[in-house]
Amino acid sequence: MSKQDDNTKTINRRAALLGIGGLGAFSVLAGRLYYLQVTRAEDYKVLSDNNRFNFNTVLPERGQIVDRNGVALATNKQDFRLVLVPERVNDIDATLARINKILPLEKSKRKRIKRDIKSKAKFIPVLVDEQIDWRVFSRLNIKMPDLPGVIPIEGKARNYPHHGTFAHVLGYVGKPSPRALKNDKDTLLRQPTFRMGKTGIEQSHDQALRGKAGRKKVEVNAVGRTVREWDDDKIPAAAGTDIWLTLDSELQSYAAGLFKEESGGVAVMDVTTGELRTLLSMPVFDNNLFVSGLSVAQFKKLDTDPKRPQFNKVIGGGYPPASTFKMVVMLAALAHNVIEPSDKIFCTGKTFIGNRDFHCWRRSGHGLVNMQQALQQSCDVYFYEIIQRLGMDKVKPFAEKLGLGQIFKLGLGGQTRGIIPDPQWKLDRLGSKWRTGDSLNASIGQGFVVTTPLQLTVMTARIANARMAVSPLLVVGDKLDAAQALDINPEHLRIVQNAMRAVCEEPGGTAYLPNGLGLLGIELAGKTGTGQVKGISTAERLSGVRDNKELPWKLRDHSIFVGYAPFENPRFAAGVLVEHGGSGAKLAADICRKVLAKALVRDGIGEMASPAGNN
Amino acid sequence: MQRSATSGIIGKLAELNWLLPVLIAMVGAIGVVAIYSATGGKWNSGASQHLTRLLVGLVFMVVIALTDIRVWFTIAYPGFIFALILLIGVELFGVTVNGAQRWLDLGVMRIQPSELMKLAAVLALARFYHDLPAWRVSKPVGGFGALFIVFVPLALILRQPDLGTGIMLAITGVTLIFLAGINWRVIISSVTLAAIAIPLFFIFGLKDYQRTRILTFLNPEHDPTGASYHIIQSKIALGSGGVSGKGFMEGSQASLKYVPENRTDFIFTVIGEEFGLIGGLGTMFLYILIISVCFWLASQIKQTFSQLLIMGLTMTFSLYVLINLAMIMGLAPVVGVPLPLISYGGTVMMTVLAGFGMILSAHLHNEVELPRASGLLL
Repeated sequence: MSKQDDNTKTINRRAALLGIGGLGAFSVLAGRLYYLQVTRAEDYKVLSDNNRFNFNTVLPERGQIVDRNGVALATNKQDFRLVLVPERVNDIDATLARINKILPLEKSKRKRIKRDIKSKAKFIPVLVDEQIDWRVFSRLNIKMPDLPGVIPIEGKARNYPHHGTFAHVLGYVGKPSPRALKNDKDTLLRQPTFRMGKTGIEQSHDQALRGKAGRKKVEVNAVGRTVREWDDDKIPAAAGTDIWLTLDSELQSYAAGLFKEESGGVAVMDVTTGELRTLLSMPVFDNNLFVSGLSVAQFKKLDTDPKRPQFNKVIGGGYPPASTFKMVVMLAALAHNVIEPSDKIFCTGKTFIGNRDFHCWRRSGHGLVNMQQALQQSCDVYFYEIIQRLGMDKVKPFAEKLGLGQIFKLGLGGQTRGIIPDPQWKLDRLGSKWRTGDSLNASIGQGFVVTTPLQLTVMTARIANARMAVSPLLVVGDKLDAAQALDINPEHLRIVQNAMRAVCEEPGGTAYLPNGLGLLGIELAGKTGTGQVKGISTAERLSGVRDNKELPWKLRDHSIFVGYAPFENPRFAAGVLVEHGGSGAKLAADICRKVLAKALVRDGIGEMASPAGNN
Repeated sequence: MQRSATSGIIGKLAELNWLLPVLIAMVGAIGVVAIYSATGGKWNSGASQHLTRLLVGLVFMVVIALTDIRVWFTIAYPGFIFALILLIGVELFGVTVNGAQRWLDLGVMRIQPSELMKLAAVLALARFYHDLPAWRVSKPVGGFGALFIVFVPLALILRQPDLGTGIMLAITGVTLIFLAGINWRVIISSVTLAAIAIPLFFIFGLKDYQRTRILTFLNPEHDPTGASYHIIQSKIALGSGGVSGKGFMEGSQASLKYVPENRTDFIFTVIGEEFGLIGGLGTMFLYILIISVCFWLASQIKQTFSQLLIMGLTMTFSLYVLINLAMIMGLAPVVGVPLPLISYGGTVMMTVLAGFGMILSAHLHNEVELPRASGLLL
């Protein structure tokens, strides 16, 4: 066979047609390839990079909060956390069950995880747990291949090394609330491990502490896993600024120790600058608990404690100032010249006004007392007398000059303004007329008068300073209003100061101790106060229930003391309130003396009288 | 007859057209490089297996090439019937993988009868037209005989369902019928009929996922993460490659797994992304050369069986290439057709190389006279 048959000729002819068609098809493909790779190349390059790169937010380290000596009060601690990305987890329940075998998750935590998964977009990581023990964490790391979508993270968590001594000042950090997310567009708030200040300084100075988010360019594959990091287009995170407080952590810890189991508050203030060396509310709570989220049981315990640990009593607690208010009445009386300091008033132990007796705390009476003796012995009848000559409306401006009835710029929420009543106030507030009895009660800091321990401290500092109306300062660098002159006659203030010295340093004073402060050559000036929680009824008087100790805790008197030292060239003022602590001459005076002495020693002014009296 | 020249193995090897094996080896080598890159530079994730299969396949191809054409001529019908039985076997006892019933488990190995059918149907059709006198090609006997050989296996394959293989078998069959010389009147009336039948087939003959694929292809932006994800991502891979490409092992789309199945059906995206337009057109040029050589071989053949055998197998190979490239470039729906010699996968490699073996065999044994059957179908 040497020739092609007939069929093959047809086949060849038609094959040629087919070949042309085939070439046409390849030309179309080549043209399409040209279109994609040359004409549209730039568009697809962008799309490819979009696929390839992600910009991840880099969390800045939160600024520290330190005391006046740089001691850390709020810091950041290495923390091991576990997060999961819902869209990469096949079976949430099975995955949680597997994690649970290594890292036990409480029921409430599981609930919270599921709620978070539901409420957020599926690609946003959800926190499983944090503050994981590193041994558990490393065991989890080994199991990672069996837990797709679960990511171990080493991060930083807020830590308060003093476990609560500064809890009321610092506050705590927590997850941003839905409202914060709505109002604050900072990308940081969208990061699962970001914590923002919720209360206290953490909240008021959050912007500075927070820092600025950085970003890093990462190459991710189709399932979102980071393949590598790129150095270009990278913006490092700017760490938050450190916040310096005026507090002295050692002094504050010492003060906390003095309270033991008692409830109350203490403030120590520099009478010249207004810097607060101590601002403490007792009992404290461990604010570390709030960072990791506290359990229901822990929350219940805090919430039902009758001593209300979460309540910042030193700035938010409104209490009757009791006899510490007598300095205000004295200054008003002197200014309005209703009595001479040497004029004497006879105290029989009670004054009859309207239809009832107003008693002096000493039932037998003080006899004849002049102004200084009246304050030194805290004679109520003397003040009942001068308030009647004055009227409460004349006292109120002096209370305000001394810092009562106002809120300070501390950067702390939860301050109480308190009440400095006058006839107009009563009419507005209660719709009834002011009675003489109201004035009498107010003159001894009872009745409608309400102040906070911090306000009483500021009052004492201003009396001690005598020239400037110093305001409390808590955060170094916070802008304050220009210091105002006190605008009270210095001679009158000197009379009050002498009387306060007599309270502490002269026999017969309600807070007299032979040793005084216990410091060589330094005298204390102060005033006791015993704040009544409940008026003692006639029935109780008759039945003889007079001792505070016989009453239930909740009904016992508040123990109050304010003081400053040294008497000459004053340095620090302090105000102490012990809730239901009984007489101000006892618990509160004791704490105040010790705290002031310690403050002076730490400041290099005071020197202990005897080695036994240290600390 | 020059029997002396075609007898001994040495003599046959000397006469073999060596241009074709060399081109095939070159394309196969591109496959090894592309798979190596697609698997992130791992030698053992496919590249080495691909190389082994290529080398074994080339030896296998030469063995088939040296086998006398009369062996293939003789087994054309029995082979077709055997393949048909296997296809029916799949229908009855097949193993389902990824929602499609394509595999037959023989205990020792799993085979894919639809691949075998690609060869068997071409052999059977070539044999059918070889035996059929030219004047009967357009007669009912010729027409229905050929349609039987094409459509019975086609129906079974579409039932599996395997749209890609089905399309290839149908087009190859129709091409062979066309080449055999069916007259233009029949062609025109058939095309008209198809224009009516195809829409009906689309509505009633396709599975949901097949319909989705075609609809997605027509409107790829419709669902960017779902069915059209393949197409969009492969276009991004090709487009971002530009003229010169991102460089070997530098393709981010492929290595970061944005393009799925990138070492099998979508392997061309790796070539396009890393070697750019130059690499893409170069690869296409090699394919065109292979196909052209096959056409040239076919043009020299003197007997209908051999010529239709070469043309049919060339057509099958060309369709693999055309459909795969059109699919990757977004010009055809994603139907699961691999790029022959380059995509990772043993069955297709063996089918294609066996096909080339038969092409070479048909050319090598051009001078061997094949009998014309009489009586069976006349």
